[in-house]
Amino acid sequence: MNILETKGLYHNFKGLEVLFDVNLQVREGERLALIGPNGAGKTTLFNVITGNYHASQGHVFFKGKEVTKLTPHQLTRIGMGRSFQITSTFARLTAFQNIRQAVLSKNKIRFQMLRKLDKMNKITEETDEILKRINLDGQRDIPAGMLSYGKHRALEISMALATDPDLIMLDEPTAGMSRDETHTAVELIRRLTEGKTVVIIEHDMDVVFSLADRITVLHYGQLLASGPPAEIRENQEVKDAYLGELEYG
Amino acid sequence: MRTKLLTWILWGLVIILLFFLPKLVNLYYLSLFLGFVIYSLYAVTLNLLLGYMGVLSFGHAMFFGTGAYTVALLLKHIQGIPLLPTILLGGLAAGLLAVILSPLLVRVSGTAFAMLTLAFSQLIFVAALKFREVTGGEDGIGLASLPPLKLLGLFSVDMNDKINFYYFAIIFVALCLFLLWFYTKTPFGSLIVGVRDNALRMDYLGFNLSHIRAINLIVSGTFAGLAGATHGMLMKLVSTVGVLDIGTCFKPLMMAYIGGVGSFFGPILGSGILHILEDVVIRFTDRIGLVNGTIFVLVVLFAPQGLIGLFNTVKAKWFQKEKVS
Amino acid sequence: MSPTTVLYVAQALHGLAYGMLLFLIASGLTLIFGMMGILNIAHASFAMLAAYFCFTALKLTGNFWAALVIAPVIAGFVGVLTERFLLRPVHKHGHLAELLITVGIMTLILELVKYFWGTESLVVKIPQSLSGLVKVAGLTYPVYRLFVIGISVLILGFMALILFKTRLGKIVQAAVSDTEMVSALGINTPMVFMLVFGIGIWLAGVAGAVAGPLLTVFPGMADQLGMDAFVVVVVGGFGSLLGAFIVALFLGELNAYGIQFIPRLAPVLMFAFMALVLAFKPMGLFGERE
Repeated sequence: MNILETKGLYHNFKGLEVLFDVNLQVREGERLALIGPNGAGKTTLFNVITGNYHASQGHVFFKGKEVTKLTPHQLTRIGMGRSFQITSTFARLTAFQNIRQAVLSKNKIRFQMLRKLDKMNKITEETDEILKRINLDGQRDIPAGMLSYGKHRALEISMALATDPDLIMLDEPTAGMSRDETHTAVELIRRLTEGKTVVIIEHDMDVVFSLADRITVLHYGQLLASGPPAEIRENQEVKDAYLGELEYG
Repeated sequence: MRTKLLTWILWGLVIILLFFLPKLVNLYYLSLFLGFVIYSLYAVTLNLLLGYMGVLSFGHAMFFGTGAYTVALLLKHIQGIPLLPTILLGGLAAGLLAVILSPLLVRVSGTAFAMLTLAFSQLIFVAALKFREVTGGEDGIGLASLPPLKLLGLFSVDMNDKINFYYFAIIFVALCLFLLWFYTKTPFGSLIVGVRDNALRMDYLGFNLSHIRAINLIVSGTFAGLAGATHGMLMKLVSTVGVLDIGTCFKPLMMAYIGGVGSFFGPILGSGILHILEDVVIRFTDRIGLVNGTIFVLVVLFAPQGLIGLFNTVKAKWFQKEKVS
Repeated sequence: MSPTTVLYVAQALHGLAYGMLLFLIASGLTLIFGMMGILNIAHASFAMLAAYFCFTALKLTGNFWAALVIAPVIAGFVGVLTERFLLRPVHKHGHLAELLITVGIMTLILELVKYFWGTESLVVKIPQSLSGLVKVAGLTYPVYRLFVIGISVLILGFMALILFKTRLGKIVQAAVSDTEMVSALGINTPMVFMLVFGIGIWLAGVAGAVAGPLLTVFPGMADQLGMDAFVVVVVGGFGSLLGAFIVALFLGELNAYGIQFIPRLAPVLMFAFMALVLAFKPMGLFGERE
């Protein structure tokens, strides 16, 4: 079953067409990499799918239901998660407090005004557990903004995952990371997304080839090609589009 | 654990002090002190929006004033209405105003929010001025006498006795402050701060931003109304100047900023400082506005985190913390 | 003309005069906001300051025209100093701090004005040439109000010329839309900021000086003007001069007709209008920046 599907998606920014007739299909349980030269519209596509932007035309289907007009918070509640290319956490709050916000959402605690948050032990335990799983338990009480880049990115990714989504959209999770940090991040992603569907935007082809089951290529807002990694690797059109832009490890 | 004990002792001392205050100072200072406490509540409600949610309410007086006028009008037109319901209705009316305005106010932030609240506040101010038959215009409505406080039909306490009123008001305001403090410590309190720090992320975590903003606004407005209601009863006079004018919009702002918007107690500290200042400066000059304004400008220039923020910065530098990875 | 038409036309002219004054003030506000992202709460206070300067300049020189020219310039100069020493240092603390310091400045100006000139209303005497009535198309109308309209149009035309036809104007326009780029091109942005702020204040100063004889000079002068100017900017749209123009004129007329026909409701009307517009377009009629 296609957990995510877009039909005839168009989007423009003040007259500039950014997405043309995008028909994306994501199968349940697969790891799909979305690649393409800079400016191809990948993040825009993410924004449209996750409800941050309104598509000027077209439809988005999630788990078989039409979700085109839904907003980010509504989509998160039905099982979508998203991480950002530019780290978007609560910089002034500690790593613990950051994850806790996500945990609150997951437990549907939205208007609780009768108990002290710090005294809610179940929440605290669940948060600490997640911190341990992502190896941030040592930095539990450090403000997010003061974490090292790699750890901060890891926090960013786990915020997206902490609401336990069925479909996770990761936007350049390893952007700006060193070789080692990238390696750690890939392992983390692989571990945390077991059994879930992942769509990942990436420029680092090593990451793509080690994680992805399938690759879709976006070029000037249009879907260029789609298929297993080996096939895409040999695709002439893709190579032309990418001239000089890809990093082959 | 030592800090916990220390905190309890400190609060204990505060309570004892508050209890014995009428024995220690004369009525003039008692009123002044009460005024400071009530205004602290008002400033704290403003900070729920400013410090905790990151939006500037430039027209907070509309909630304060609604509370005050509701009480004045109720006492004027309904004979025999008891004390507690009167005050609570004042808060309710202010809360209702917040409910009515929230659909519009939650859609904007930053400068637009500030301007909108200012405009609505001015609208209400002008309306109160113009509809003299109802509000008494500039002269306002006098509160001839306050109804007694009836507790569970057991006994009745005369509220026209200033000392009785002091005890009632202190307990009432302290309760409000405690409720608000607790409110900031709940999960919802954490959500409010989340909206301030990263609304986009909150959206993507599955939280409905409009709902969160609206509820916080309503809570802030309601308690501002309660502050206004109590203030009206203290002053025995409710008129546009003092509860609805632009000065009443700016005062809590200055208090919160001077004390420090980053802490729950900042506005209380700021309120204390401004009240003491007013009392002291008034002996030397009536240019109190000039002094307030200058201090405010100096604080914004040199201590934008307010005095509590300044204190925290100094404390942090004292115990050097290293950047960890 | 029939008496009723005369009444309507007279009101229309009143509204036009007030509307133009509002636009003079609002345009400075918009320029500053568009350029620096600061909503200058103290803007109308500078207008009031200029009115006081005009009063004193008139007393010292005995020449109305000289006072009219000098006062806004001095106010503008005060504006430049304010930007340099009070606004610029606060810029790094964020928009809220900037907004708050303008509140402080507003308070300070009010208090200083009360300190130096007292709290009584001051009368600014207009010269013979501008006083009295004149017959215009069957209508007898105060000369001074026509003067207000005339000079506003003149100043605004002049500003538009500079903004759209000169190199300086182009730099200002560029700086409004892309500050960093302009700075990268080697143009001294802090200088431009100071200049634009000064000009914005000068515009308000002109309005204040000109309005002095009309509204009388007193410490509460800035309240009405300021509030109206904010409504203009908010409803017209932040950063939109066109929006400010349209709304300023509309408000001027609303005010004039309102005061004439429904005096009690007039001020309320203005805010009701604002609430209505903002309910549908929170960014104002032509607004896009926030």
